[in-house]
Amino acid sequence: MQPVISFQNYTFRYKSQSEPTLRNINLDIQSGEKIWIAGPSGSGKSTLAHCINGLIPFSYGGESSGILYVGGKEAAKLSIFELSRHVGTILQDQDAQFVGLSVGEDVAFQMENEQVPHSQMKQDVYASLTQVGMEEFESQGPQDLSGGQKQSVSLAGILSTEADILLFDEPLANLDPASGARAMKLIDHIHQSTGKTIIIIEHRVEDVLQQPIDRIIVMSEGEIVRDQTPDQLLAEGALSKYGLRQPLHLQAMKYAGITMGGMKGLSDPEGNVHPSIGEELNAWAAGIPFDPPHVEGERLLELDHLTFGYDKSRPVIKDVSLTLSRGETVALLGNNGAGKSTLSGLITGIYKPDRGEIRYRGESIASWSIRKRGAAIGYVMQNPNHMITQHLIRDEVSIGLRARGITGDEMTAKTDEALRTCGLYPYRNWPVSALSYGQKKRLSIASILVLKPEIMILDEPTAGQDYKHYKEFMDFIHQLAGQGMAFIFITHDMHLALEYASRAVVLSGGEIIAANHVANVLSNPVVTKKAHLREVSLSRFAKAQQLQAPERFVQAFVDYEKRGMQA
Amino acid sequence: MSKGGGIYVAGDSWVHRLDGAVKLILWLIWTVVVFMFLDLRLFAVMIAIGVALLWSARIPLRKMAFLFWFLIFFTFTNAIFILLITPTFGTTLTGTNTPLIPLGYNTINKETLFYVLTLSAKYITLLPLTLVFILTTHPSRFAASLNKVGVPYKIAYAVSIAFRYIPDLTQEFKHILNSLSARGLGITKEDGTIAQRMKNLTLVVVPLLQSSLHHIDAVSNAMDLRGFGAHPKRTWYMGMKMSSVDKTVLLFILLLLALAIYLKVSVLKGFWYPL
Repeated sequence: MQPVISFQNYTFRYKSQSEPTLRNINLDIQSGEKIWIAGPSGSGKSTLAHCINGLIPFSYGGESSGILYVGGKEAAKLSIFELSRHVGTILQDQDAQFVGLSVGEDVAFQMENEQVPHSQMKQDVYASLTQVGMEEFESQGPQDLSGGQKQSVSLAGILSTEADILLFDEPLANLDPASGARAMKLIDHIHQSTGKTIIIIEHRVEDVLQQPIDRIIVMSEGEIVRDQTPDQLLAEGALSKYGLRQPLHLQAMKYAGITMGGMKGLSDPEGNVHPSIGEELNAWAAGIPFDPPHVEGERLLELDHLTFGYDKSRPVIKDVSLTLSRGETVALLGNNGAGKSTLSGLITGIYKPDRGEIRYRGESIASWSIRKRGAAIGYVMQNPNHMITQHLIRDEVSIGLRARGITGDEMTAKTDEALRTCGLYPYRNWPVSALSYGQKKRLSIASILVLKPEIMILDEPTAGQDYKHYKEFMDFIHQLAGQGMAFIFITHDMHLALEYASRAVVLSGGEIIAANHVANVLSNPVVTKKAHLREVSLSRFAKAQQLQAPERFVQAFVDYEKRGMQA
Repeated sequence: MSKGGGIYVAGDSWVHRLDGAVKLILWLIWTVVVFMFLDLRLFAVMIAIGVALLWSARIPLRKMAFLFWFLIFFTFTNAIFILLITPTFGTTLTGTNTPLIPLGYNTINKETLFYVLTLSAKYITLLPLTLVFILTTHPSRFAASLNKVGVPYKIAYAVSIAFRYIPDLTQEFKHILNSLSARGLGITKEDGTIAQRMKNLTLVVVPLLQSSLHHIDAVSNAMDLRGFGAHPKRTWYMGMKMSSVDKTVLLFILLLLALAIYLKVSVLKGFWYPL
């Protein structure tokens, strides 16, 4: 049978770049296959997607050689509009993709452009919303929907067309773990019920592997380096070679010395249950000294029975109490709307609590302005581009000092120190635009660090970064914590919480529903379900293998990896 | 109904059900007519009709308060300035001069006072129909209406996109400003002189612009990928067929326009000054 997509010796170079981003790609995708294209940032996987849906060359010009066939026709001879009838794309940014003012309009968008008559449009919108389970939301606006729901609407929009190839460009990047799991399930359901070809571009390994995949294509530096079934690839443990993360339960098996060659269903943490595996894992975990994180520093921040509502009759923060000590790293977990951002707004002074008190080093900060609080408690936004205002790196760091009346040699000395800490000193006179995303992220930290706060709130510090960059950045934060700085991570990345936080605090509906060691919290299915998180795969794995102490096993894994990191 | 529409007030009156294009035409012709005349009697009649329309749309008063007070303030300031700067302007319209209030450097005359009254009524005449139009036209239907009255759909859709993303942009602006405030680059009294604070405000522009450009790129990709602009025409999910009420209203509008032209040409030619 003729493949629906066929790359033949395909090479592509962007106009603005000297080196090709895709090199000599040979890839056939058959109709009805479910393919996962994996790879770290910069590996060329998004470029590959752009070639398939026509954004290359329509929006991004460049030079290509070789041939690409989509639906049996040469892609170069099709316009982006013609391609859009074969390939439906779900973009990473759910807000950008949701162009309609309401759900119905958004689903109808492509039909409107194809001049489908009004009466038929109404029917088709309803039918495709039913397929994704969103029919009750037809008249809702995007403001009323979560990221996951917006994505389902986008999917309905694609289903309303005749496109037989569905291309998902990093569909999980902005979703909380529960929504991510639901998205993967929905994709699988659509695959089963329609038989369409599914292509998923992602770097979040465990999340994609929650549902069956026919083939994994791994890309690295513009080339296809692997084209295998999940079981082959996982047994080999090759993912980590390419800046991706091996699922934790497989990593644990490797640490315990269990050989995985020939095993089936490796991607499912609850598959491959075997008493002998359980024994080996128990023995391994018993050999790791129990070493729960223990911080007994001075108390820096105390939240004392905080209650707050934008509308006083409907509080969004309910009676929240929390303390943070020197050197502590707390992960503030919870789904969208649980109150995480509101709580950080209360700490930084954007909002004033209706009841309760916030104390910094024992002193109430009720009367402190945002500015004054900013010198003690730094806040780092998710996207560094939202914080950077200056042209030169050095100026970006020093501007905060100048605003506080520190100038001259003192300013230079402090700026240099912050730049050194963040590893940006060699680039101090460079323009900001020369930095990579990860370096910009460090720059945004430096611009806060220079004010010498003792606490830093990081909003989704690793969102959208692949494992390599994630690890680099978080190891750096870990170092700062080692020097006595306290951190609050606002996140729904459970690996981050597990590996880098000493404590997890879970918000749900404005209340703290759990606060304990991270392994304890994230091994608790009741808490994780309520907070739209998922019980970590490692814990589900341990329970499936009927290990003696699943939570202890999770902790052993984290401790083992930490020791590896320090060595 | 989505909250994103901003000022639209949901309702089910006949004014709400009226086609957006009809309301747009009504508003345009209404405005043209108002600018044709300088006659207090006509304005009084038009205000009465406008208020009746507004009343039949059953819009809560508080929704109108802002625009109402804004216009009153504007009209009042405008009137004061005219009276102070050209206190005898009315004479050029009537040819008579009846001194009334001495100002020292000049005297406000009766003619100018009446002129200012008429002018204020003129502005106020615009208000009820403007309110009817912006408060009862569903933002989603607005783009479809614009397209129906002949505006190219790419421009009409730009209006819809603005409705869609302005709330997001406002949110982002606040977010960036807060983070700058925490670094000591805010816009409150504490952050320095007025000049310094203005300078701080301009700092927001860089990240806001950068993220808007990024956003525009993503949105336009999303639209291209879904066939926007592929054909010279498009259909509208929220578009409506014209009902018989719409057609009747449209006919009335045209008759009113004809009447207005007749009045202008042969009856109410200039500034009406009864005193």
